[in-house]
Amino acid sequence: MNWNKILIVVQREYLTRVRTKVFIISTLLIPLGLIAYIGLIIGLQFWESEPEHTIGIHDQSEVIIPRLLSRDSNRYLDMSGYPVSDLRDQLLNGEINGYITLRDEHITGNIDLEYIYTGSSTVTLQSSIRSDLREAIREERLARAGVSEDVRAIFESGITLESRKVTESGAEEEDQTAFYTALGFIMGLMIFIALFMYGTIIMKGVIEEKSNRIVEVIASSIRPVELLVGKILGITGVALTQFAVWFLFSTGILFAAGPVMMMFGGDAVQESIAAETGGAAVAFEIPAIDPFLIAGFFILFILGYFIYSSLFAMVGSTVDSEADTQQMMMPIMLLIVIAWIINVEVMQNPNSTISVVSSLIPFFAPITMVTRIAINPVPVWQLLLSFFLMAGTIYGTLWFSARIYRVGILQYGKKAGFKDLLKWLRQG
Amino acid sequence: MSVITVENIYKSFGQTQAVRDVSFQVERGRIFGLLGPNGAGKTTTIRMINYILIPDHGSITVNGIPVGPKTQLLIGYLPEERGLYKKMKVGEQLLYLGRLKGLSSSEARKRIRYWLDRFGASDWLQKEVGELSKGMSQKIQFIATILHDPDICIFDEPFSGLDPINSELLKDIILELRDRGKVIFFATHRMEQVEQMCEDICLFNNGRVVLSGNLRKIKSDFGENTVLLEFDGDSSFLDSLKGVRINNRSTNFAEIRILDETNPQSILRQAVEVTNVHRFETVEPSLTEIFISTVGTDNINSAKPGLT
Repeated sequence: MNWNKILIVVQREYLTRVRTKVFIISTLLIPLGLIAYIGLIIGLQFWESEPEHTIGIHDQSEVIIPRLLSRDSNRYLDMSGYPVSDLRDQLLNGEINGYITLRDEHITGNIDLEYIYTGSSTVTLQSSIRSDLREAIREERLARAGVSEDVRAIFESGITLESRKVTESGAEEEDQTAFYTALGFIMGLMIFIALFMYGTIIMKGVIEEKSNRIVEVIASSIRPVELLVGKILGITGVALTQFAVWFLFSTGILFAAGPVMMMFGGDAVQESIAAETGGAAVAFEIPAIDPFLIAGFFILFILGYFIYSSLFAMVGSTVDSEADTQQMMMPIMLLIVIAWIINVEVMQNPNSTISVVSSLIPFFAPITMVTRIAINPVPVWQLLLSFFLMAGTIYGTLWFSARIYRVGILQYGKKAGFKDLLKWLRQG
Repeated sequence: MSVITVENIYKSFGQTQAVRDVSFQVERGRIFGLLGPNGAGKTTTIRMINYILIPDHGSITVNGIPVGPKTQLLIGYLPEERGLYKKMKVGEQLLYLGRLKGLSSSEARKRIRYWLDRFGASDWLQKEVGELSKGMSQKIQFIATILHDPDICIFDEPFSGLDPINSELLKDIILELRDRGKVIFFATHRMEQVEQMCEDICLFNNGRVVLSGNLRKIKSDFGENTVLLEFDGDSSFLDSLKGVRINNRSTNFAEIRILDETNPQSILRQAVEVTNVHRFETVEPSLTEIFISTVGTDNINSAKPGLT
C-alpha cells in the first residue's frame, strides 16, 4: 500500500464532496430544520395547551370506579355517593367538566354510556375517556367471567399504552433511563441512516468512475485496492465532518431549547416531546452525555462504515449504472435492516442474550452496540471483543471487495450476477 | 536497446484465452504499432504492460524492471475508452492525475500551464469538464497522459473520434515526443492510420502474434506485387481475374494483390479492353493486405466485446 497515493485519493474524494452546494446546504439546513421543528412544537403547545379536565363518575356498580381511578386519579372523581342531580349542578357550577353515570347493566349488557359535559371538549380527550372506560369495563367483565390470570395478562399486555408524565422533582432514575433509551434510539437510527447514506455515496462514486471511464487511467497509476481504500477514507472524512457539525449544532440547540421551552410551554411541551420521541419522556435538564458514549458512537460508526462501504463499493464495481444495483444491494440492505429490527429488542432489553449476541456480530454491532452503550454500561470485554471482531471483518470485507472490485471496474456491458462474482473472486 | 520486453505471456478470462504465448520487444526512439482486429488481445496486452492486469504466465519488463508500481510511473497511458470526472475543473483534474503519477503539486501546476498553452486552452483551467466539447476533453485527456513526461507513451486508438485538424495536431506532438527519445506505443485496428507512422509493428490475431518486426522490411519481403487500378467503365472483368485477391474494391478503384506468378501487365491488358484506365501502379502491399494474407481470410477473428 502506497499511503502517499492513497492520501491524494482521500484528498480528492473529500474536497470534491465537501465543496458541493448539496453538502453545505444539507449540513447547515438539517440543524436549522431542527430549530424550526422545535420552535413549531413550542408554538403549537403554547396555543393549544388545555386545562385539566375533571370528570365526575357516578358508579352504581361500585366496581368500575376503582379501575378508572387507578388509570387516572386526577381526571376521574368518585361521586357515587351523590345523587345524579348534584352532579348536574356541579357541572353547571363549573366544579367538574363533565360526568358519566355507570350502572351494573353497563357491565352485563351492551348499553351505550353517556358523557355529559360543558365548555370545551376535544376529540383526543373523548377518545381517551372512551378507551379508559372500555378497558375498565372489559377488565371487570373478564374478572367476572372467571378468566384465568394468564389470559388476563395477555389482554393487558395487548392493551396498555401508558404515557407517563415526568414531574420536575419526580423519580430521577426513571427519567434518565427514558432519556438514555431515546438517545440510544436516536444514535442507532443515525448510524442506520448513515450506513445507507454514505454507503450509497461511495457506490455512486465507484459507478461514476466506471461509467465515465476514468478508472482505467487511475488503475494505470495506482493499485485498485489503494483507490478503494482512498475512497472509503475520503468519504469517512465527509461523514465525520457532517456529523461533527450536526453534533455541535444540536448540542447547542438542545441546551438553548430547554430553558426557552420551560419559559413558554411548561409541562405541556414536555408531554408533547415525550409523545414525539415515542413515549419516552425527556426531562429538560438534559442529563450529561458521557464523552465515552460520544467516542463510542464515532468508533462504532467508523468501524461499521468500513465494513459496509467496502461492500457498497464492490456492488458499484459490478454494474454500469445505478439502475442495475438492486440485485446486488439486496443482501447488504438486508443485513442493515435486520440489525435495525434487532435493535428494537435491544432498546427494550439491552442486556438480553439476543442483545448481547447481536452486539458482537460485526454486521449488526454498529447499530445494536451503540444503543446498548447509550442505555446502560456494557462490560468492557464485550465492547473490546466487538471492536476486535469488527476490525477483523473489515479486513475480510475489504479483501473480498478489493478482489471483485479490481476485476469489476474494467468490465462493461454485461450485468454481473452472483456467479460472476465467484469467478471474479478467483480471477482477482 | 529494448525498453519494453514481453516474453511468453498468457492471459485467460474464464474459458476465454485472450492472450496466448505473446512475445515482442519495443525499442527506444521508435514508434511501435500493435495492430490487429477488435478482440485480438491488444488491450489486454496493454493493460498487462500497464500493470492493470497481471499475466497468468510469462514476464513483462520495462527498462529491465518487472512491471509494477514503479514502472507505472514511467508510462503514460491513453486508454481506448477514456473519460474524465465531469464535475471537476480541468486544472484540478490534471493536477490529480499528475500527482497520482508521482508529480509534486508545484511541478504539476507548471506543466499544466505549459501544455494548456500549447493546445491554446489556457482559459479552460477553471472550467468543469462537463462544459467542454468532446474534442476539447480529448485534448485534456492527452495532456493527462503526457503530463508527467513519461518515457513510454501508450496510445490505444488515439485518433478515434478526433477531427482531421486535431488528428494532425496530435500526430505532430507524437512525432515530437519520438524525436525527444520517447517510446511511442500505438494500438489500433485501423491499420492504414498508423501505417505512415509506425517503424516497428506487431500483428495480433486471436490472442497470438502472427507477424512482427520492422515495417519496411516486412513490406519489402512481401514484394511489389500489388496493383492499384483506377478506371472508368464496367468493373465485372475483375471477377474473371485468376490468381489474385481484390481488396478495397469500389466502382472505379481496385487494389489487386497477385498471389501467383501472373504478370501485372496482363491485368492492365484485360482492363484496357473494357474500361478507360486512369491509373495503373504496382506497389508494396498495404498492411491490411499483409495481415489478411498472413492469417487467411477465414481466420480473422470477429469482434469479441470486452476483450479489446
